[in-house]
Amino acid sequence: MGKYILKRLLLMIPTLLGVAVIIFFLMRVVPGDIVELRFAGESSFASKENLDKERVRLGLDQPLWRQFLAWITGIVRLDFGKSMWTGAPILEEIRLRFALSLQLAIMATLIAVLLAIPLGVIAALKQDTWVDYVVRIVSIAGLATPSFWLGIVFILGLLIVFKWLPPMVYTPLWVDPWQNLLQLIWPALAVGYRYSAVATRMTRSAMLEVLREDYIRTARAKGLWEKLILSRHALKNAMLPVLTVIALEFAFLMGGLVVTEQVFNLNGLGLLFVEAVAHRDYTLTQALVMLVAFVFIFVNFLVDLAYAWIDPRIRFR
Amino acid sequence: MLKPFVVFLGFKANPLEGSMLHRLALVIAIVAAAAAAPAGAQEKPRYGGELVFAVPSEPPSYDAHREETFGVIHPMAPHYNTLLRPDPTDKTASRIVGDLAESWTISKDGRVYTLKLHRGVKFHDGSELTSRDVKASYDKIIFPPAGVASDRKGEYVDVEAVQAPDPYTVVFRLKWPSGSFLMSLASPWNWIYKADILAKDMRWYETHVMGTGPFVFVEHVKGSHWVGKKNPNYWDKGKPYLDGYRAIFIKDSAAQVSAVRGERAYIQFRGFAPAERDSLVAALGPKLTVQESPWNCVILVALNHEKKPFDDKRVRRALTLAIDRYQGAQALSRIAIVKEPAGVQVPGMPFATPPAELEKLAGYGRDIAKARAEARRLLREAGVPDGFSFTYKNRGVPMPYEPLGVWLIDQWRQIGLNVRQEVIEAAKYYAELRGGNFEVAADFQCGYIVEPDLDLYKFQSKDKSPANYSRYVDPTLDELYEKQSRAVDPEERKRYIREFERRLLDEEVHYIYTLQWHRIIPHLARVRGWTITPSHYLNQQLDAVWLTE
Repeated sequence: MGKYILKRLLLMIPTLLGVAVIIFFLMRVVPGDIVELRFAGESSFASKENLDKERVRLGLDQPLWRQFLAWITGIVRLDFGKSMWTGAPILEEIRLRFALSLQLAIMATLIAVLLAIPLGVIAALKQDTWVDYVVRIVSIAGLATPSFWLGIVFILGLLIVFKWLPPMVYTPLWVDPWQNLLQLIWPALAVGYRYSAVATRMTRSAMLEVLREDYIRTARAKGLWEKLILSRHALKNAMLPVLTVIALEFAFLMGGLVVTEQVFNLNGLGLLFVEAVAHRDYTLTQALVMLVAFVFIFVNFLVDLAYAWIDPRIRFR
Repeated sequence: MLKPFVVFLGFKANPLEGSMLHRLALVIAIVAAAAAAPAGAQEKPRYGGELVFAVPSEPPSYDAHREETFGVIHPMAPHYNTLLRPDPTDKTASRIVGDLAESWTISKDGRVYTLKLHRGVKFHDGSELTSRDVKASYDKIIFPPAGVASDRKGEYVDVEAVQAPDPYTVVFRLKWPSGSFLMSLASPWNWIYKADILAKDMRWYETHVMGTGPFVFVEHVKGSHWVGKKNPNYWDKGKPYLDGYRAIFIKDSAAQVSAVRGERAYIQFRGFAPAERDSLVAALGPKLTVQESPWNCVILVALNHEKKPFDDKRVRRALTLAIDRYQGAQALSRIAIVKEPAGVQVPGMPFATPPAELEKLAGYGRDIAKARAEARRLLREAGVPDGFSFTYKNRGVPMPYEPLGVWLIDQWRQIGLNVRQEVIEAAKYYAELRGGNFEVAADFQCGYIVEPDLDLYKFQSKDKSPANYSRYVDPTLDELYEKQSRAVDPEERKRYIREFERRLLDEEVHYIYTLQWHRIIPHLARVRGWTITPSHYLNQQLDAVWLTE
């Protein structure tokens, strides 16, 4: 098992390096220039001399290979540099948003798991009954409903019915849990519903497949208690694909909730990402891509470990 | 006491829009707001409270001397003072009053401006402000040291020297007389910094806040909010009225509307679209006040003189003649933040061309059939009788670029032109414009103060103005710019501006002006002491703002 973990950890390095190369050069290929955008935008007076001065200050006058080398050596030292747009250290820019995005992702995942697994199991057990149909309708509606749209409905509903709007400024959980919950519960519900729909569908189909397996039939033939069959033999095995879906969705939430963040004015990583790209803030965009890539890789690594824990065949292989 | 300016424009032009109930709500809001205005004018300002407002942008750095976005001004201007400022009660923002300067004189030859400073002005660190600080700040703007970029250096080419003969006197010596210099000293960007700090580190203010303004900096949480609290030692005794303010950064316009509607923010100082105003009026009724004003922003059409057939002024003239500005104004003002046909100055401002005279310019006449017949004749004369095809490159900003772009294309089709629209993302858009990689493109002019020098600068020849995206050379226009800039007699200056306008928009049609933007600020009625101006960069010190509850 230790060898397996080490191998998986080492495999992360070339993957992250590949991501670094791609994002660095991709950003340089995309047309547009942070200096023009910032200083020539609304000014009639922006001279070429001033724009060039700014490019020198940001290091954009250097050859690409030198810029890349400086950046990559910085990453190795865990120094991601400064945002080209704000001049603030990138770790500070990300740290501010990371807590919110992480909390939202955890809350949405909890909501999704709490909804999806019981509903998926019930739908599978009551296949082709009215219960199954209701679960299917609810989950298909969740898949078809963009979470930002649901967010807009929540906001309008709260405004029209209760003449109340969730707080628009993030309060950390450890500062004021109630204010924090008042702000984040609505986007968590909006995102969690869509997320649960994906997981419900997956749980239902995985359960249906497992329930038809020989070992379930054998367990029933042996006269095992039905609840034990379901929890120990069926659900545990059905969880493998469900776990993958939940993990990938979780990784997506760390940076992928752009529109939902806009709707609820959440100061999260998604909006920061979009702004960094729109501003052609190379250093910040690169750091965010690396962060999201790392989250995806790390979550996948955890899923693989969980697979190995749940399914002994993988561990022994 | 500031007199609230409350006007509602555009509803009469739009009698069929919305339901009966909706219109009734609008009428109630108008009546309530109108009733509140005189009351507000007579009321004694109330002390206390925190003003919460939405800001659709965020400061990239904290140094206003180098930034371009209102995202710097809105949250940060309350921490600073400028030498002069437009009178905060003047909705045209054309009347200059002192801020740090208590008085000023101009020499007879118009080349020496002497300003006397208020005594006892303290920085937030407790040190006293003197003329040395003013000189250091203006030197940074006008004569930046090597390595420090100052975009506004170009606005002060007429300044020979800034002097501080005694601690409370500042003298600006000009190379030639200027009609605009006083207004330049009222620039909302020219915050006065502390000389000692600048002497140690010219970039210190990019990351720190320390001024003499009515509010002291408390915190900035990036991407979230900015907080300021009352400066108890403010030099203008009795002010400010608020205990503090909180600026919430809200980028999405729907979220801004929700914030005001849900009373999470009391005001957003940049502006809302007509539909957003109407929805707020319908939802909040008498709890809302709406202020409106012509806005010192306009979308221009840049005609690339280096691309055929736009090098032919007959073609350019045909393009402006095809546009029915009056019908467009009526239709577009219902859905977009535009309103009146625009000349080179904001309508109604001291140097603006009166409407009757504006109608004499090509494309501004009331008889659109005649104008379009003339446009077709010009196209025939230019050798393109059957019209031609071209691409209109538009900026990827929905409001008001998209509706205006669609409207322009339709207008040009009326004279047989086949126009394709290409919407370009903002970052790429500037590169395209500056590189001349377009035939016809949306361009814009957005001034922080209504001043002909600032508004006309971009239209000088391309070797003088880096923002001349039509890429022409016109020495006559350059000469007219210089003449109006140096004319100290307002009537003389007005004449030169008219000549400039005629040459730019009629004789040569180097550029096409479309419709003046229209600024709409619906805010909670509890916010008092703030007057709308034609610029969203002005009147943001918040020293006179107060809350009724």
